[in-house]
Amino acid sequence: MRLDEGMAEQDRRAGAENRRKLAARRRWAKAAAVYVLLLGFSLLFVGPMAFAMLSSLKDNPVEWPPRLGSPQLSPANWVSAARLGLAGGGTAFFGQFAPGAVVPFSITYEVDEGGEPGTPIVRVPRRVPGAGPAAIIAEPFAADDAVVSEVREVGRTTTEGVVRVTYEFDIRHVGSDMVYGKLPLDIEVPMYQRFVRATLAPNRIERLGRVQSWNNVTSGVIPYVFYNYHRVFRENYSRATGKNLFVAWIRNSFMLAGIKVVTTLVVASMAGYALARLKFFGRNALFNLVLFSMMIPGQVTFVSNYLVLRDGIFGLTRLFGGGSLINTWTGYVVSTMVGGSAVFIMKQFFEGLPTELEESARIDGASVLKTYSRIMLPLAGPALGALAILTFQGTWNEFFWPLVILTSPPDKYTLTLGLLSFRTTYAVAFDWGPMLAGTVMSALPIVVMFIVFQRYFVEGISFSGIKG
Amino acid sequence: MRAHGVSRAWEKAAPYILLAPFIFHITAFFGYAFARTFYFSFTEYNLFASPRWVGLQNYVDLVRNVQFGRALRNSLQFAVIVTLAQTCLALILAVVMNSRVRGIRFFRAAYYMPSVTSSVVITLIFMWLFQRGGVINYLTTKFIEYRAPIGVFIACLVVIQVLLVLRDRAGGWPASWFEPAFLLMSAVFSFVLVLALQAARIIGPNPNVEIVRTVWLNTRQTVPGWAGSLAVPRPLAAIMMLNTWTTAPTMMLLFLAGLQDIPRELYEAAAVDGAAPAAAFRHITLPGLRNVTYLVLSMGLISTLQMFDQVAIVGEQAPRESVITLAYFIYSNAFPGSAVPRIGAASAAAIVLAVFTMVLVSLQKRITRS
Repeated sequence: MRLDEGMAEQDRRAGAENRRKLAARRRWAKAAAVYVLLLGFSLLFVGPMAFAMLSSLKDNPVEWPPRLGSPQLSPANWVSAARLGLAGGGTAFFGQFAPGAVVPFSITYEVDEGGEPGTPIVRVPRRVPGAGPAAIIAEPFAADDAVVSEVREVGRTTTEGVVRVTYEFDIRHVGSDMVYGKLPLDIEVPMYQRFVRATLAPNRIERLGRVQSWNNVTSGVIPYVFYNYHRVFRENYSRATGKNLFVAWIRNSFMLAGIKVVTTLVVASMAGYALARLKFFGRNALFNLVLFSMMIPGQVTFVSNYLVLRDGIFGLTRLFGGGSLINTWTGYVVSTMVGGSAVFIMKQFFEGLPTELEESARIDGASVLKTYSRIMLPLAGPALGALAILTFQGTWNEFFWPLVILTSPPDKYTLTLGLLSFRTTYAVAFDWGPMLAGTVMSALPIVVMFIVFQRYFVEGISFSGIKG
Repeated sequence: MRAHGVSRAWEKAAPYILLAPFIFHITAFFGYAFARTFYFSFTEYNLFASPRWVGLQNYVDLVRNVQFGRALRNSLQFAVIVTLAQTCLALILAVVMNSRVRGIRFFRAAYYMPSVTSSVVITLIFMWLFQRGGVINYLTTKFIEYRAPIGVFIACLVVIQVLLVLRDRAGGWPASWFEPAFLLMSAVFSFVLVLALQAARIIGPNPNVEIVRTVWLNTRQTVPGWAGSLAVPRPLAAIMMLNTWTTAPTMMLLFLAGLQDIPRELYEAAAVDGAAPAAAFRHITLPGLRNVTYLVLSMGLISTLQMFDQVAIVGEQAPRESVITLAYFIYSNAFPGSAVPRIGAASAAAIVLAVFTMVLVSLQKRITRS
């Protein structure tokens, strides 16, 4: 009898022990399942942008089938590009083709046994780069001074019925003074001869594999890897002034976003404080107007706003000798200096602060304005930080209003409008390389800012529930 | 005494001093603008000659305007479908995100990434993904190619999971159908099984799969085919996917904040009472999220009804009538390129858009409150 009881007790203990182990195991399993889900969703959200970033380095981002890797990501090619850049008379990072340069190059082909490999024909072509704006950039051709040496066969191996042949040649700069930015190269072989590898991976293989083609063999590492990025800067310049447009767009976006952050912080914090804490005639009406304005899209009010700016804000600009504010930054800043949602955020924030400090200040005889500027504003740091970030992001990304009022010349554009102009410049020709490079560059500042100030972004969302 | 009076007046004026710049701005660039749009909607105006009063003519013309009908229909479809889709996705994301595991900040940042970049960047990237030879078509092709192994994998997973749960329940344990420990086990088993079957050449990828060449943007087709008059133009469907993808993370943050406000004790009490997780979700989580849901739905409706950027950015790459929305209709009538601006029509459409926004938001308010 006692023995039985003892065994039952032991059983129960063993059962409890098992149950605890099982529960612990299930907790682990649950965590693992959560991680699998989280990773899957991350792939969904980050994947497209990460893939766009990788593809922005490719020679052809619309290749089929799409691949993750590209020659531009291979360290072997970086080393070759650096060596060729040095050989061309430039630096390892930024190459050129300068007088006295001797650029050695080797290339390997294979043919099936029985066929005789033909010596490749090497040419330095006079190639106008790309379509669209690039086509009218006049620059000297390296072909004028480049001389290709005799093509020598330096090695031949036969394995399993396939003959591999390696050839070498040099390209010399025989001129006296011209320094060329780039040295393009075409190598042509007979139909049955297959390309295996070369000093530097070719940018294109054309005519069913007969021609291997390089944009610039002496580019150095940076223009080789970031070829599309290089094109974005090189090919977008103003026809009127010759200035670099992409740089101008970046500068405009930064400048406008910076100015708008300042105006928004000043105006919204004052208005938010007044709406949150002060009693005055029309307070409710004003707040309802704020809420209403947050609901109504810009497309409803833009015609009148356009006219207001065109007429110089009811003629006020004429007092200062100005005229229409269309296509001016003044017009943009004045018409967007504060948004309803910014005031709403500040009001919500000030309402959440305790009233004691203010009350004691008022008892001490401080005026309303002093209470605001000396006591409340210093407390508003977190809200101002979040608002600054949100405003910067909103302005940087803004599309509609700049589209309406900043129409010409192209050096007035913001970055978003500039990118839109890429659509007509590049996308019509399926030239997605510079497009992707441009999108990556214009997303970069915001992504970096987001990673650094993540906390403020999240706070901003929860303050207001309104994006931008 | 007089100094006192001056300071009193000063104090009285203080709110207006603080508000002055804002009042100027909201009056000139919102109140006045809205009133003027209302006025323009009853006139014929081309930005240059002075407006001519035509009464309700613009509204009457709108009803007859085919383009406007398309725009209205596209906007409503877009608003309803995207709002529902992004709210559901955001809720799922938030529930997963709300689990207490390490590194959640990293994941939150990763999810939020599409929401911080501009509509131009995102739309251009999407246009690239949705090319005829783009990644979306490639992945679809791959999926069709591997349909057999994937099907076998899912079937195995379900069978093993059911067996494991039934075995546990027979042993007296209250296992849920989605028990994560078993799910992981079933997934690993099924994966190994599929690999083995592939190695034995019993199943495998379809060798002569036809490459998918769906045209996503430059097409007048509607999807899905069986939906008849409710079907959505395919380019618009692509934009819907894009928008759901970019806004769901923002909504997720709101839901996440809402979830963290629900006291954990409620769940613990429910667990003690033996409530299943699904019941806890229905009776604790959903009621606790009612206010957030209202906010998310309102924001979703407001922002989707005014969708403009994506249409303007896709531009000529898709047929105009397949993607046109109310906001774009307004813009293209006000600034029709080389034609004469039709401000009257644009303003009337703008008033319709404003009214629709208000009606939908208040309708949705009534539904969620009840």
